This record gives sequence, C-alpha cells and structure tokens, in this order.
Amino acid sequence: MTKSKKDRVINIIDTTLRNGEQTAGVVFSKHEKIRIAKMLDEIGIPEIEIGTPVLGDVEKDIIRDMLKLGLKAKLYAYCNADAGEIEAAADLGVKNIVINISTSDIHIKEIYKQNRTWVVNILREAMRTARQKDLSFIVSAEDATRTDLEFLLKVITLAKKKGAGRFRICDTVSKFDPFRTFMNINTISSSVSLPLEVYNHNDFGMATANGMAAIRGGAAGLVVSVGGLGDGTGNAAMEEIVMALRYLENLEIGIETSKFREIAEYVAKASARAIPIWKAIVGTNVFAHESGIHADGVIKNPKNYEVFNPAEVGLTRQLVVGKHSGSHTILHKFKEYDIELTDKEANDILAMARAMSVDLKRPLFDKELMYVYKEYESKKKDKPDLDESGE
Amino acid sequence: MRELDLFTDFSKKAGVEIDPMDIKIDDTTLRDGEQTAGVVFANDEKIHIAKMLDKVGVHQIESGIPAMGGDEKDAIKKIAGLGLNCSVLAWNRPVKSDIEASVECGVDAVALSISSSDIHIEHKLRKSREWVLETMKSGVDFAKSHNLYVSVNAEDASRSDMEFLLQFARTARDAGADRLRYCDTLGILDPFETFMRVKNIIDIIGIEMEMHTHNDFGMAIANAIAGIKAGAIYVNTTINGLGERAGNAAFEELVMALKYIEGVDMGFNTTLFRNLSEYVARASNRVLPTWKPIVGGNLFVYESENKISGIMADPLTYELFRETDVGLKREYVLGKYSGINSTIHKLETLGYKISREEANELANIIRSKTVASKRALFDSEIIDTYKEFKGSSKKEKAGTGRKK
Repeated sequence: MTKSKKDRVINIIDTTLRNGEQTAGVVFSKHEKIRIAKMLDEIGIPEIEIGTPVLGDVEKDIIRDMLKLGLKAKLYAYCNADAGEIEAAADLGVKNIVINISTSDIHIKEIYKQNRTWVVNILREAMRTARQKDLSFIVSAEDATRTDLEFLLKVITLAKKKGAGRFRICDTVSKFDPFRTFMNINTISSSVSLPLEVYNHNDFGMATANGMAAIRGGAAGLVVSVGGLGDGTGNAAMEEIVMALRYLENLEIGIETSKFREIAEYVAKASARAIPIWKAIVGTNVFAHESGIHADGVIKNPKNYEVFNPAEVGLTRQLVVGKHSGSHTILHKFKEYDIELTDKEANDILAMARAMSVDLKRPLFDKELMYVYKEYESKKKDKPDLDESGE
Repeated sequence: MRELDLFTDFSKKAGVEIDPMDIKIDDTTLRDGEQTAGVVFANDEKIHIAKMLDKVGVHQIESGIPAMGGDEKDAIKKIAGLGLNCSVLAWNRPVKSDIEASVECGVDAVALSISSSDIHIEHKLRKSREWVLETMKSGVDFAKSHNLYVSVNAEDASRSDMEFLLQFARTARDAGADRLRYCDTLGILDPFETFMRVKNIIDIIGIEMEMHTHNDFGMAIANAIAGIKAGAIYVNTTINGLGERAGNAAFEELVMALKYIEGVDMGFNTTLFRNLSEYVARASNRVLPTWKPIVGGNLFVYESENKISGIMADPLTYELFRETDVGLKREYVLGKYSGINSTIHKLETLGYKISREEANELANIIRSKTVASKRALFDSEIIDTYKEFKGSSKKEKAGTGRKK
C-alpha cells in the first residue's frame, strides 16, 4: 500500500489449460493445449498453469511436451498437497508447481474428514517434498474466503517459512464482493510478507471486480483464464483483467492486447463454447452501435461512447441499422457507399428501414438497406412531386 | 482520486445497514435491453415479458420510448393498461413532445435523460452546461405538471465533472424530480469510485438515487452493489444483462448477490428466474450461455472428482444456493477430471453397482475416451463402456480359468 503505482508489478497467471479445462464438458486436445500456451506466451502472459499430472498418462504426456516448447512464460503444474503427486510432477521435469489444499472448516470436515492439524501437517509434508525435488511452489488455499482468518494467517506464515514463493487466496464459492475482498486482502497483506495472488469465481458476476479489488488491497497477482473459462460460471477473464488494469487503474502490465479477440476465438472453438456477442472486451457486439443516440454520438466522436479503440483488442466498429437507428446513421452508412442523401431522404429511408426491422425482428443487412434505398428511389421516380408535397 | 490510501478506512464507510424493503428494482429489459444492436422484441413478447417481470416482483418496468411512435408506442400503451402491480415508466428526452407522447401512453412515471459530461455536451449535444440544466429543469417542470413520477437520468455521469454533477443533481431536486439515475454509460467505474461518487451526491444533495451500470469491464453488478452500499435505493437491471455492448447489470445476478453475499433478501420469487431468462434469451435471439451466472444450464453440472466428492458429502462445500432456488437441475457427468467417487455415483444413478477397484479402472477408460472424443460422455456411452469393461474383465477371468 505504501508503494506508489509506478513501482507496482502485477503478475498474471493463466489457468485456461488447467482450471479452464476442468470445466464440466470441456476437453482440449494436446495440439490445442500447445497452441493456447504458445498464444499466451506470445502476448506476454508471464505465468501459465499447464495441467494436473495426477490425471494420468495422457495429461502427463501433454505436460512433458509443453515443457519442451521453450516458452518464455513460467510454467506450473497443479498438485494436491500430496507427496506422490508432487514427485510425479517433478519426474516430468516440471520446475514450478501449485500446491492446493482446502483450509475452510467445512471442506476440512466434509471433504477431508479431518481437522486443522492434519491440514497443517499434510501441507508441511508436501512442501518438504517440493523442496527436496528442488521445485519452486505456490501454496493455494482452496475456499480461503470461508476460512477462519486466524487459521489462514497461520497457514500463510507456515508457507512463507517453508519456502513458498506466493500464496493463493481462492474465493472458491464466490463468497466475497469487492469491498470484502479489499478488506480481506488488505488485512492479510499487511500482516504477512508473502506475496498474495487471488483466484476468483464469477458466480455472482463479480470475478473481475473482485480481482481488481484484490489488486487495490495489495495483492501481487491474479489468476485468470481466457474468456473466464472455468468450472461453473468460470473465473476472472484474462482480457477483462488486463484492460481493467489499463483503463480503470492505470496499471500497465505489458500484455499485447491486439490478439485478444483471436485468442478468445481459438479457446472458444477448442472448448466448444461460442463467445457471447456481448462478452466484455472481446464480444463482436461491444463495438456495434444501433440506437440513434449512440450511433450519432460515435459518428461525431468515438470517445462519446467508447473507452478504447476496437483495434486495441482486435475488433472492428459496426454501425447497425435497425429499429432504434436515427437519421445520422443512415446518412453515415450511405456516405460509406458514396451516396450523399438529403436530410429528408435520410428520414424517409429511416422510416422504411425501421418498419422493415420490426417486421423482421432483427436489424438490416447492408444489402437490405440498399434494397430499401432502391425501392425509395423508384417510388420517387413514379411520383416526382413527392418531395415537394410533403412538409 | 484513485489513490489506494483513500480506502484504508473503507470498512467504516461501507458498513451501512441495508433494509431489503428499501431497495427497488427498475427493470429496463424492454428499453435498454431492446436498444441493444440487433435486438427487436415483438409487441406480444414485450407484453409477455412485462407480465413475467410483474409476477416475479419487480417494482418498476421501463417499458420503452414513446417518442419513437408506431409499434413502440402501442406496446407501451398496452403495458400501461395491463393493470400490473408495478409502476410503468417510459424513457424520454427532456423535451415536451417526448413527455406528451408518454402521457398519451398512460404511464405513471418518466425518465428524463440528458448527458451531464462535458465530452457529451460538447461533442454530442453541441451545447453548454447551462443549456443542459435549463432543458432538464423545464422537462421536469412539464412532466410534473402532468403528475408523473420523474427520474432524471444523468447520462455519462461517470465522466462528468463532480462539481457540475452536484449542480445537476441540485437542479433536478429543486425542480421536484423524484430521483436521479446515475448512468455509468460506458461502464468505466470500479466499485470503489462508484461508492465515492454516489455517496458524495447523496450526502450533499440528498436526492433518491438509482444505479444504471454497464458491464464493459465486467463490473456492472459490483458497481450496482457499490451504489446500494453508498445509499442508492433503485437499480436499473435487465434480464440476462441484455443491453448495449457488453450489457447491463443482470437482474438475476443482482438479486442473488444481494441475497447471498450482502444478506439482503428482497423476497423475489427466484424459482422463476431460469424461465424468465430463457424467455428473454429466445425473444432477443441470443443463446443463454451454459456458464451464465445464476441461470446458466451448466451451473449445477459437475465433472471434477474433487467437487463431486465434496458435494455428495454436503452441497454447501461448493454451493451457496441450491439448483431448485433458481429453477435449474443438478447433474454429474463423467469426463477427463472424473475419479473413483464420481464414477461409482454416476454408475449407481444409471442402475449399476460397482466396486472401488472397478471404478478406478473404469475411470481410466472413460478419461481416455473423453480425451479422444474431446467432450464428456453421454449416459448411453457410459453404459456401453461399462458393459464392454465388464465383458472384457469376465473374459479375462474365464480365460485364466481355462488355462488352469
């Protein structure tokens, strides 16, 4: 908190290939995993979670191959706090791991059927194995937001003492809003010196907001995925976090954003999930303007309704002609086709286009708009006095 | 303004107790939702959505823009005449003809929208601040002379100079406006700044406030909640977050976040949420993503062994509310992340009892089949896989038997 903004380095660790793939129904092929890792590496994502060795031979084979790619990004394998799993990861040649353990009483009781002492012991054992195997590691506290704060601080202190590089706070059930996230992270980061990273879920639509609140609270990094792909409602979306850091917090972390749409499309295809056209940052509708007021504003100056240029994320601006269009959109659209309309012509064509749009229950294609124009022109020829007889 | 130390004593400021009875939803699916590029509702659909919103319990419906005339005006007239429990509001520019069109429709409330940011005033309206205040004031006067409930909408409030925004709010209040709508038109606020700006207006001007937030940076819900924490009592939502660009604050997400994160239960009939969302998704010709918060079809579908083990012990291990609370169904699928417990459980639901050893082997086979087909397996495929597995292990046993 005392550091000024310019000194702050925010880390991003992408989990598209691990928690993203863990989404019910999503499976990436080896080829896709490698492609995604390369794309993330190319745009400058500093750290990538590449997989979970305990899933067996298929996954191990993929991890082994990914390690050979020579990526600049730091690559992590994901392990439960289990000596066997950690050894298996080390055998693959992995250098960095995430060690996951639940710390909330409800998880300890219902999932592990154990107590807090057991959690501390098993984590200590796991960290010892990691050290013996010369692995650098992050300790991840699952369900940390429902964990007794005193116990959580004890676990973090232990992790720090035993050589963890970072500590991950998981809001596994989306329990927090940004204010509680801020207070929680602020409290923890001022009590312990181990850098924190925060993992958010989007169950109530607040994953990105919580991530940003964590950064304000002093977190050193965030766990993200492309398009927010992840179990249930998913995680904080990589593209939203990077752009929110840039435009809402003025924190620049040096990611090449112009490839965002392309990466989002690739991950969408590989996960068999279409990108909603309204997806924040990368949806195709984000820069589509139909309403008269908005389109008019954008024609006059894009800054009226846009915070950044669409090219910055690999999108293009569209003016859509439909029920809510105004005459300025019509004038502008036809100008693109080298047709200069008078205000009266624009208004008449607008009325016809609106009626057609209501009838079709959708906006018009550019071609349809031209048909409207031709129809209007031919009507005018039939009744040459139409212009004068009006108003 | 964005400095971190502003928030060190945030806990004290944000600790306002919220009375659920004070918070009101003004749903704008029919106005800002329909204004989305590419979305057109048929009039029958509008009426059906209005009825559903009323049934689910929203307090006000923003029904459309009467000044557009034609079908739009007809739909608003019909909705206003339905005899709904909720208030029916129409969207206007603060001009006489717009307000007259609203009066003709028989609505009980109007929103008078005008930009308050210099960038909009200079580049879009091409007018002055004074003109904005005068136009807004005479709009309120005219609407009030028709006994309408008046919301003054400060468009692009987030990029407005705070001093001018306060002046804007004061003018609206003094003219007799019932509330001020804070429009984060571009979705550029974060929850902390939202809180400060809204609290500032409420503390200094003391007018009732409404939050209108956009999701361009994924913060629509968080910002709406920040506004409520600062003392706003209305939220302008849309079903599924339908709205221009990245959309608005989703009704179902806001209601559930208030209930389960903020402890504010507004008493909505949440079991209708999935139905309502599906209807609006179809009418707006947009598929409801399976991962959509609150109402997505996949939210209670589990594959990972860890999660299924936890949920079978106690759903609260991974869930804050139940699938039936929002009209969804629970399902376990087998795939790459399956393990022993999930395989035993799944086979049991399909009518087969298997041992832990069998489950372990079967889970391995299912994992490689999943990776090969790049998706989770259908129930019939699981049954076939199980039968094959049983057959081959029997044959193996039989084979070894013969050798002896």
